[in-house]
Amino acid sequence: MQYELRHQVIPAKRQTYQNVIDRLGDQPVSRYLEGTLDVQPREHFHYRPTWMPNRELYDERFSALRLTDSYRFTDPRQYYYTTYVAARAGLHDDFGKTLSYLEERALLARLPAGWQALLSSIVVPLRHYESGAQLVSVAGARFAYGTSLEQCCSFAAFDRIGNAQMLSRVGIALGGGTRDELETAKRAWVDGAHLQPLRRLVEEIMVLDDWAESLLAIDLVDSLVYPLVYRGLDEHALLGGAVAYSLVAQHFSAWFADQRKWIDALVATWATDPEHATANRAALGHVLATWAGRAYSAVAALAAAVDNHLPMAETSAALAATAESRRSPWASLIGGAAS
Amino acid sequence: MSTESPSAAPRKKLPLKERYALLTRDLDWEPSYVDREQLYPFTRYEGIKIHDWDGWQDPFRLTVDAYCKYQAEKDKRLYAVLDGFAQGQGHLTLSDASYLNSIKLFIQGVTPLEYAAHRHFAFLARHLEGPAPRFAALCQSIDELRHTQTQIHTISNYNKYYSGFHSWSKMHDRVWYLAIPKSFFDDAMSAGPFEFLISISFSFEYLLTNLLFVPFMSGASFNGDTPTMSFGFSAQSDESRHMTLGLEAIKFLLEQDEDNVPIIQDWVDKWFWRAYRVSALVAAMMDYMLPKPVMSWKEAFELYFEDQMLSGLFPDLDFYGIRPPRHVDDAIAEKEHLSHQVYKIFHNFSSVAAFTTKTPDDAHLDWLSEQYPDTFDTHHRPTWEKHQRVEAGGRRMFFQGLPQQCQVCQLAISFTEKDDPGKLSFRRSEFRGETFHTCSDGCKWIFDREPEKYVQAWLPVHQILKGDCGGPTIPDVLAWYGIQTGDNGEYTGSPDEQFWRAWHDPSLKHGE
Amino acid sequence: MNAALRPVSIDLQESEENRALIEAIEADNPEVTTRHLPGLIKLQAPGQIVINRESVEERLGHEWETGEFQLAIVSYTGNVSEWDDDQIIVKWEH
Repeated sequence: MQYELRHQVIPAKRQTYQNVIDRLGDQPVSRYLEGTLDVQPREHFHYRPTWMPNRELYDERFSALRLTDSYRFTDPRQYYYTTYVAARAGLHDDFGKTLSYLEERALLARLPAGWQALLSSIVVPLRHYESGAQLVSVAGARFAYGTSLEQCCSFAAFDRIGNAQMLSRVGIALGGGTRDELETAKRAWVDGAHLQPLRRLVEEIMVLDDWAESLLAIDLVDSLVYPLVYRGLDEHALLGGAVAYSLVAQHFSAWFADQRKWIDALVATWATDPEHATANRAALGHVLATWAGRAYSAVAALAAAVDNHLPMAETSAALAATAESRRSPWASLIGGAAS
Repeated sequence: MSTESPSAAPRKKLPLKERYALLTRDLDWEPSYVDREQLYPFTRYEGIKIHDWDGWQDPFRLTVDAYCKYQAEKDKRLYAVLDGFAQGQGHLTLSDASYLNSIKLFIQGVTPLEYAAHRHFAFLARHLEGPAPRFAALCQSIDELRHTQTQIHTISNYNKYYSGFHSWSKMHDRVWYLAIPKSFFDDAMSAGPFEFLISISFSFEYLLTNLLFVPFMSGASFNGDTPTMSFGFSAQSDESRHMTLGLEAIKFLLEQDEDNVPIIQDWVDKWFWRAYRVSALVAAMMDYMLPKPVMSWKEAFELYFEDQMLSGLFPDLDFYGIRPPRHVDDAIAEKEHLSHQVYKIFHNFSSVAAFTTKTPDDAHLDWLSEQYPDTFDTHHRPTWEKHQRVEAGGRRMFFQGLPQQCQVCQLAISFTEKDDPGKLSFRRSEFRGETFHTCSDGCKWIFDREPEKYVQAWLPVHQILKGDCGGPTIPDVLAWYGIQTGDNGEYTGSPDEQFWRAWHDPSLKHGE
Repeated sequence: MNAALRPVSIDLQESEENRALIEAIEADNPEVTTRHLPGLIKLQAPGQIVINRESVEERLGHEWETGEFQLAIVSYTGNVSEWDDDQIIVKWEH
């Protein structure tokens, strides 16, 4: 039986908060917008930071990249806290199911030798890379100007440690439920020749002053590592009797696709800002000029190591072939300011 | 034929503590291509000595997957309540529309502090040298974003029908009484990472958390505010993690080096007093702004601070050489008077605030007499009875000038001496040839420790007099504040009250 | 008053999901006193309160991880002294 409920409806005086009305008119808006627009304080800070007395507590000058209005950028994913944790609960639930499946059938132990070596010496050590990426992202969570930007950085920081924990759990499973593989992975990260260019790069990025430069530098590395290690090896894994690898890798590829959405939108917003576009494009060009080549070299060292274990995957060749388009993902956005 | 498969051998399972350490602190490594000081430039200047960051304990061992799972579940339940309340026009079942003045104070004064905590725990998540406290700080940062946004969303429904909620963020930056919480958190954020840990994690999230939050949440429960009460319950489990971080922080720092003890003691002294002064807003709220009161400020202070903290926590800290906060006796002595003195300021100045106030009626005055049997009738009741007489004559008194503010806590200088409730408590300090005024020994002591900090403050009253707040007249200032008709002044006769009376009028006939 | 006598307390959401947990705490901590408020149960005991996973599982009828305590807790007074796969202990240390 269907019925229509009658209400004595009290008319609303306004549909949303005043700052939203000022921007978008008096209309109902999403929880993302109510929870993001104009939340960060703007003025009348009472004291200068003792840790950086030439800055205010919230200050555009923490980066060379500026926006006239921070809220011209919004997260294409519309993640606020609730939708973010719900999305990631799903991702981790899927990963947990994958890992249980692999553990119950000892599928990681049954991987062909080359794939086990790949996991052990290259992929699991990337848990430390993710940890470094987290340190970089969380700097944006504090220092980015505007809630719309910092919120994405906050979630990215949590994502990176989530990724690091997923890789660690793979390592534990690979080690038969022990810490052995994690110890091996750490030694590889600290001492392994194939990982030193990457570790060095990450450490230099971590100490940069400009949170946006460091975030973009890491993104340049991600843009090479993720297609190489996760998506790029997928087909070879399936053909090479290493389905377990494909099952693990899919979660990281999915995450990277999600991450691209907000980073690409943010770079586009910087590059087209009404007042700062020119300066921003120059700054973006500087980021590319400084870090793109370094990222390529670091990942090439990884690719060579992959080749040692899985020659049929021809990873170094794949890297070289796609590197041109990968090397400067924002070139078109910044009007070819970087070659 | 063997039917054994490789998985028949029982799989080893790592103990929780070890697994958690592998998934958090073990991710860290000693940098060798950059200096440690380059990577962590802010951990030495406060004079705190750390010998072993690995000494940090993690009692709440939440990995990212578990965090997302539990938090998603909590939010699902909370938002279901919010949606139900909105659908059922639940605001009509509040005890009274005047109750919402307490929630206006909450979103204007407290929600921005949640956001500040979100941003600055991210600072700790970047700049503390130990991976274990860094991860704990990251989780807290994300939690505080949850609190900010769930509060914005909870109160969004009230914003549609009632005044005073619409411009909370702008008002926090500009309006005079909101400089009290704003300056409190700015003080913490501008301090170094270890002082921030003690000021917020310990003093705010542990020492005074019940005193600051339980009155709002219980007030919600007693006054029919289901959404706020549900938010409160839901946030509290996050608060358990935060309290734990606070207690762990202070113990870790005290255990690392004896030289840390006097530094920590000074911070405990300072931050107890600064947070206590902010709690004066809560005192006024719970004694005066709840149509159905929960308990008096005095009772709350005795339960949540004197019993639970002074008698519960500080004996634990005594082991490390930490004594109860300096000036705590002043706070105890003030408990008879604090709420009344602060509400009198609100009542006198709500013409320029984003909430309304009213004079307590006789039933309310009788309740206050019961709660403060030794002092209310002598010191505070006569003032309210005077206001009652003025209003019976058709007028309403608002103070036509501007109050003097304390340079540190930024409350109006309106407290009285411990041993003489008839005498205004007023202190002076000299710095670089200028005189600065504070409200109490506690605030003066804070000023004199760091005068170069407190002279930077953006004091709203001074700024109005300088002409930096929209213009020379009160209407100019109100416009600059973003205050709209109905937000300010007297509750009786306000748009909110008129609407409420019309809706609940028992004399309305059927169908009207 | 020394640590063994000073009261510790745990506030839990009083809900259907937490019934087994509350019963387990009451059974394993004979000195615990209980106060009921709307939607909330306050458990208090001198010195310490212990939560045993096995106790909870017995009453729940299925597996329970100590991590799930996160969903039930509202607040506590004391110190989380231990939290591992099998047990949670809240007490004062000194």
